[in-house]
Parts: sequence; C-alpha cells; structure tokens
Amino acid sequence: MTDLIVARRLGKSFGTTRALDDVNFSVDAGRIVGLIGPNGAGKTTALKALLGLTRFEGELSVLGLDPYRQRHQLMQDVCFIADVAVLPRWIRVRQLIDFVAATHPKFRREVCEHFLARSDVKPVSRVKELSKGMVTQLHLALVMAIDAKLLVLDEPTLGLDILMRKQFYETLLNEYFDEERTILVTTHQVEEVEHILTDLVFIDRGRIVLNAAMDEVQEKYAQVAVRPEHLAAARTHKPLAERQGLGRTHMLFRGVRRADLERLGEVGVPSVADLFVAVIQGARA
Amino acid sequence: MKRFLWLIRREIWEHKAIWIAPAIVIGCLVLLVVTGNVHLGPIGTFDDSTPLGDFPRDVQVKLLLIAYAGLALVVFMVMGIVAFFYALDSLYADRRDRSVLFWKSMPLSDAETVLSKFAVAAVVIPLVALAGAVLAQFVVAAGGSAKLAMAGMAAGVMWQPEAILGGIVIALLWCVTAVLWYSPIIAYLMLASAWAPKGPFLWAVLPPVAVWVLERVVLHSEYVGDFITVRLFGLYKLLSSSRSGTDDMSDADVGAEVVKLSNIDLVGSLREFYASPDLWLGLVAAGLLLAAAMWVRRYRDETS
Repeated sequence: MTDLIVARRLGKSFGTTRALDDVNFSVDAGRIVGLIGPNGAGKTTALKALLGLTRFEGELSVLGLDPYRQRHQLMQDVCFIADVAVLPRWIRVRQLIDFVAATHPKFRREVCEHFLARSDVKPVSRVKELSKGMVTQLHLALVMAIDAKLLVLDEPTLGLDILMRKQFYETLLNEYFDEERTILVTTHQVEEVEHILTDLVFIDRGRIVLNAAMDEVQEKYAQVAVRPEHLAAARTHKPLAERQGLGRTHMLFRGVRRADLERLGEVGVPSVADLFVAVIQGARA
Repeated sequence: MKRFLWLIRREIWEHKAIWIAPAIVIGCLVLLVVTGNVHLGPIGTFDDSTPLGDFPRDVQVKLLLIAYAGLALVVFMVMGIVAFFYALDSLYADRRDRSVLFWKSMPLSDAETVLSKFAVAAVVIPLVALAGAVLAQFVVAAGGSAKLAMAGMAAGVMWQPEAILGGIVIALLWCVTAVLWYSPIIAYLMLASAWAPKGPFLWAVLPPVAVWVLERVVLHSEYVGDFITVRLFGLYKLLSSSRSGTDDMSDADVGAEVVKLSNIDLVGSLREFYASPDLWLGLVAAGLLLAAAMWVRRYRDETS
C-alpha cells in the first residue's frame, strides 16, 4: 500500500511568520492520525494545504493528487469537517441530504438515514433550528455516509459537551473506521482522542516535533512515579519532564530500559497530554 | 447536467425572494383588481368614463398592449432588483455564514458553482419574471373583463389575441434583451460578491462611484460617468431611439396619442440593439468578469 499522504519540505508563510517550515511526513492508509499542537502551531494550515484550500511551498501529494491543482477530483475521495458550525443554516435536513445524494457520487443515502434515525434530527427541520449537538450529528451522519478514503476532522467537537464528544468519537471508531479508511484529526482535547489514535504527530511553530505510531510511543516513552529516595538516581536518566505528585515525582523518560525504570517506581504509559507538554517544551528549549 | 440542476435548485431553496417577490407583486395586483382600483396604462384608460369598446379596434389593441407592456415593466423592475441583490449575495452568503467550507467539501468545481449562480441570475430569475408578467397580464385581463361585464359592456375586448399575444411577445423580447444588456452587471456584482471581505454592496458600488467622482474633480471629464450611465440606462435609449412620432402629450385626443406612443418600431430598434458594439463588448466583459469571479472563488483563502 502506498502512502496516502506524502509531504516533502512543505512550507507556508504568513508575512514573516513561518506557519509551516519544511515539514516532512507521510500517512499510510488505515490509520487514525492525531495532529496535535498548540494554538498557531500550523495545524490548520497543514490541513488546509492537504485539502487544497491554501497555497503552499514544497511537495504534497494526497491520494496521488496535487490537492491545490486537483482539488475537485480530490474531494471525490476526501471528506472534511472544518468545524461543527459550517452547515448552511437556512437549509432543511431533507434538502441537504437530497443535495448531497444528487451531487456526491460516493454518498450512500441509506447509511446516512440509518445514522440519523438514531438521533433527534428530523428531516423537516432547518439546520438553524437544531442544537449544536444535533448539527454535529447531522454533519457526521453525512460525512460517514460518504465512502471516502480520507476523512479530515479539524476540531470536530469544538463547543460540544463531554457526552457528545465521547459519542462522536465512539461512533467514528466503531461504525466508520476500517482498514480501508484513514482519519486525520486535530483537536485540543487530547485526552478524548488518545485511545482511538494509531499515530501521533506533534507540531509546534510550524515544525513536526514528533511523528510516531502509538505503539512505538508506548515502547519508547515511559512515565514513572518515582519514590523520593530514588530521585537522584532517576535524574541521572535525564527525564524529559518532572511533575510533583502525592508523595511521588512523576517523570517522563525516553528510551530508558524498562528494568532500570522499574527500580525507581511504578512504570506507566504516559498520557498524550503529558507527552505533548514534555516534547514541546523539549523542542523549544 | 443533473448536478447543475441541483445546484440551481439549491439556489432557489436559499434565495426565496426569487419567487416571493413576484408572488407579492401578483398578489397586490389581484388585490387592486378585486377592489376595482385599476387605472392602467400611461393614460389611465380603464376608468369608466371612456369605455374601451368605443375606440376603434386597432386603438383598442394598442391601448391594451401599452397596458400589458406596462405591467410587464413593473414585474421586470421588481425582478431586476431581486436579481441585483441575488447576484450581490450569491458568492458572499456562504462565506458570511461559513458554510462555504461545507460546500467546498463536496466534489463540485468552483466554476460549476459560479456558473450555476450566474444561470440563476441570468436565466431563472428572467424566466420567473416572464411568467410573472404573463400572469399579471391575465389577472388584469380577467379583472378588466369582469369590470366591463358589470358595467354592461362587451367583456371580450380585454382578450383580443393581438393584445394578449403581443404583450407576451413584447415581454419576451424585453426579457431577452435586458438579460443580454445587463449580464456584465450581473457578472460584476458576482465578482464583488466573491471578492468582498465584508459588505459586498459597498464593495460593488463604491469603486465605480469613487472613480466617477475622481474623474470629475481631477480631470473635469465625464467618461466614467457616461460609461456607467450608458450601461445602466442605455437600454432604454437604444430601444426607444427608433421610435417614430413625438413624445409630447396633449390630452386632446387620447386615441391618437396612444397610437403615436405605441408606434415604436420594435423590429427596427431590436436590429439596432443587436448591431450595437456596446452589447457585444458588454457580453465579452461579462465573460471576463465571470471568469474572474470563478478564480476568486477558487483561490480565495476562506479561513484566514
């Protein structure tokens, strides 16, 4: 299987700031990739470049196409949700489904209706009459009914409550995702996506600071609750980060042998959020 | 083609003014006819003092033609305003409510989208206008007949085929002519709509006005002003330039006056219209402006 997305020396400037600075990465089919970074890190710029919505420097190929020049072919196989609030407010649910069914060759109406049947969204309602959660359900139902190869989600759960966010990702994982599909998601709420991701990409100040598969990450990085008496010993292994806990100091290590770590305290898998903070701070130092 | 029709359908869903505006005009007309307040035509003919049936037949036809054409003109002016605001809103509305990113996630090219919106302004709205004009004509013919019948006069005069058919033909010719003449304006408004960061009305109107004022103040000339005037109002001039007879209205003989007024050499003025370079240059400009609108729609960065 060839790579679904290949970016080489991808760059983009706004004035004097480099939103993307020589970014190289690739994404295989059948992965769920989390693109994670602080505000202004270049996440949205990267996604926009992938979707052909913005000009860029360097080389970029999505499904073998140049997204900027071949945007409308690309949209046959790529779906995206830019933000929950982007469905046209004046349209009726039924009209929206009719329209997508008539204009999108890969849309499966029965799948969409199956998803909607479980929600409170009524076909006669106008989008503006729906609650924010219902609009998201509608948008997700539309997008999941499209037999696309790549789904791009940019902060898809912004403004949703915690129940809906959970439901959103569960539906996505259980009813949409399979080996044929690839999902690329950016979000600030890292905790909610970490258990569904297969790959992690950290981006900061326009550069990729980490790009690894989840299992690689779990192999390479470890979080240890260090007992006070082992503090000095622990520091010789150069922890990436230290955080004070209840009677323990939590330290994040990279590439240290497991046996050595187990002597210092309980070893656990670092959360993506902790990893993120440590890696970003390390990259900036 | 099927996709294109769906795109047009989408526009009609969104812009309800396309059918509500003519519905209101017809509704008002029906109301006027029912309440008996119709004084139609430039000379106020259908008051009861001068029964239509007393005129010679050719004058009857011409009177009716003027009335019917006047009705068409009212409908067309309303639909012209609808088309103006439609074009101005067409490529801006979805940017304002941010749904543009949803539409752009569909496998539709921006050229198709822009063309479908142009087709609404240049084909759908004129067709609705035409239908509205014909309907208005029938409403007034029916109302007039009822009025005449109640006054004990021959009601059939309102339905003279020459007048009814003539009215439809005139409305059709005006419609086609106006679309051709105003298409560069539609394309220009659509470009402004695609390009304006905010408030497309000001972005569309202010630049030409500013250039016009600047030219007056700095160069003391009127080329831009003339150009704009010709494009906005030149249609009337072009169409009426070959009218025979005079315009001065003496109320001495209504019938004779009407004959004069309606002696517009329709074929001649149309020939002149289609031979005018202004028309063809305008169509070329419309094509260029539309291409520019497609380019802006395609390459404008929506989220930054």
